[in-house]
Amino acid sequence: MNDNYLLDKRILLVDDEQAILDMVLSILTEYGFRNVKTAKNVREAMEEAGKLCPELAILDVMLPDGDGFCLMEQLRKSGDYPILFLTACGEDEDKFKGFGLGADDYMVKPFLPKELIFRIMAILRRSYKDENPLVRLRGCQIDFSRAEVIKHKEHIPLTAKEYDLLSALYRNAGRIVTIDALCEAAWGDNPFGYENSLMAHIRRIREKIEEDPSKPVSLVTVKGLGYKLIMEGK
Amino acid sequence: MKNTRKSIPKLIRRFVGIMLLSVMLLVILNLVFFVVVFVRNTSSFSPWDMADEAAAILQLTDQGFWLPDDMAARLKERNAWAILIDEETHQVIWHTDNLPDHIPLKYTLSDITELTRGYVMGYPAFTGKAKDGVLVLGFPKDRFWKHTRASWDYDFIAGLPRNMLIILAVNTVLVFLIYAIANSTLLRSIKPIINGIQDLPGGSPIHVKEKGVLSELAESINKTSKILQEQAGQLRKKETARANWIAGVSHDIRTPLSTVMGYAGQLESAENLSADQRKKAAAIIKQSKRMKDLISGLNLASRLEYDMQPLSIKQENAITIVRQVVVDFMNMDIEDKFPIEWKTADHLFFCCINADKSLLKRAVSNLIQNSITHNENGCTIFVSVEEDSHDCRICVEDDGTGISDEQLYRLNHTPHYMSCETDRGDQRHGLGLLIVKQILNGHHGEVFISHSGYGGFRVVLRIPKTLYIY
Repeated sequence: MNDNYLLDKRILLVDDEQAILDMVLSILTEYGFRNVKTAKNVREAMEEAGKLCPELAILDVMLPDGDGFCLMEQLRKSGDYPILFLTACGEDEDKFKGFGLGADDYMVKPFLPKELIFRIMAILRRSYKDENPLVRLRGCQIDFSRAEVIKHKEHIPLTAKEYDLLSALYRNAGRIVTIDALCEAAWGDNPFGYENSLMAHIRRIREKIEEDPSKPVSLVTVKGLGYKLIMEGK
Repeated sequence: MKNTRKSIPKLIRRFVGIMLLSVMLLVILNLVFFVVVFVRNTSSFSPWDMADEAAAILQLTDQGFWLPDDMAARLKERNAWAILIDEETHQVIWHTDNLPDHIPLKYTLSDITELTRGYVMGYPAFTGKAKDGVLVLGFPKDRFWKHTRASWDYDFIAGLPRNMLIILAVNTVLVFLIYAIANSTLLRSIKPIINGIQDLPGGSPIHVKEKGVLSELAESINKTSKILQEQAGQLRKKETARANWIAGVSHDIRTPLSTVMGYAGQLESAENLSADQRKKAAAIIKQSKRMKDLISGLNLASRLEYDMQPLSIKQENAITIVRQVVVDFMNMDIEDKFPIEWKTADHLFFCCINADKSLLKRAVSNLIQNSITHNENGCTIFVSVEEDSHDCRICVEDDGTGISDEQLYRLNHTPHYMSCETDRGDQRHGLGLLIVKQILNGHHGEVFISHSGYGGFRVVLRIPKTLYIY
């Protein structure tokens, strides 16, 4: 997957447990992230944020000198970058509070390294997709910054709905995205009754990205459930 | 309140019944009493009869007038005196020996008229027609009371039966009214007390005004309510403390478990380790995941058990929710051992229910997780959503090992240890199904556990459908 440009993103990791900091740091560096800084409390986090200018912050909720929600509000004053909560507070109220304040994702401990990486990558792809010059699929490339597909050196423009659908699929590349989630991505909060329109759009996208739209290899159907975008080499 | 409406009229009916019965009893008693007294006082003796009798038997002999001895004795016995007024001269021509001195011995016609209907010098007088004049009997002054002007309007006498009936009716109505007013005042003071007693089992705090004749009763009810409130409060406090304790413990376990899972996850995919070492790391992950599920299950189950999990019920499409759970499982990269088949009919896109999305997701994922946990050698999991005119049915089943009839009976009929007061080892099965049942309770739904047609375990969640309002 042509996501290497995301590994350069500056990440600020805040947790009061040294063991968690060490572990997450090792997961991130092992995956290839090169710019990760850690902080154990709100004060350190603010100092690091000042020096680092992070492009993603991973915050714990309970910190010795404050809570993660307040820290998020303070961090947001200096820059509008995505924030992921990684916390032991698993109650729905905490999640709703986090999302309500504008968090990009909320993960409850304990977690598997794979899941953490997936969520970080999804957030980064969504937030910085315009920086990615080209998304490589088998037989074509998608240029999200220009909303077009490049197939056999031919530039094929994407309509707004096709762009929305492809973005949603790309954010979750390699995973199934449900019919409902795709309808919501394209038609908003009341996405009922668009199932047939969705099929029509998917058909048109396939005509643009697939070598043989009747035998799709990049945008595959999972019967009754949804669709999956498969990147080249995956 | 509903029962009060029933019991008060019942009370009134009973009061009125008792009153009617007592009025009838009183009337009968009075009649009997009146008849007895009247008969006793009137039948034996009448002064008019006595006067007639004396007049008839007064004889004129050679020695003058003579009253037979037995009549004389009867007069004496009653302290009565007698005079005979001559027909022509109006002079007293005979009298008994006991005639008071001041009784006149000569009478005019008007005197005679007067005494006939009244008194002679204050003595009640009764006359009888004798052969030679008028016999007058005089009784002691306090022996009789005479109605001297007795005359009745004819209409009055003619209308007497009707008037008596009217008076009786008016009296009855009046008695009723007085009774009703008196009783309604009493009932008014009883009503708050009845309401208070009926509201006690509801558990809400009750305060009845402590005044009036029943103030002591009101005070007792208030005290009872206070005691109940205190007890409920203490129970609630204990339950909250228990749920908080579980929440605290599960929070504290999450952090160390993160480290275990995190490093084990790294080791599992570390390419420089041997296959055997990576297998061990995978085992650590598997067990850590079980702990993770247990912690969050325990926490949620205790919150649901003690009503600490507020349900945020909204209109949802059941298919969207179930589809997302299935896709989440498929995306989790579970081993190929557990393929999930989506069996919902192709034409069914929408099934509207009122649900708490995250809890319902939790219920369905518990069922899928159950199939995975209990079939170590792998199984196919079949998930479907169906609808009929009233209900939405979410069905999760597998073709795995399934359970015995006995186990099935126990799952359906034995309470889980978290909601059972006796300590029973045989109830220590997982929390997954308990949580599903708790969640479905909150959705006015039902959980049906049975054998699957595919050969394994089958759970159906029934949730009432709702009309879609956009």
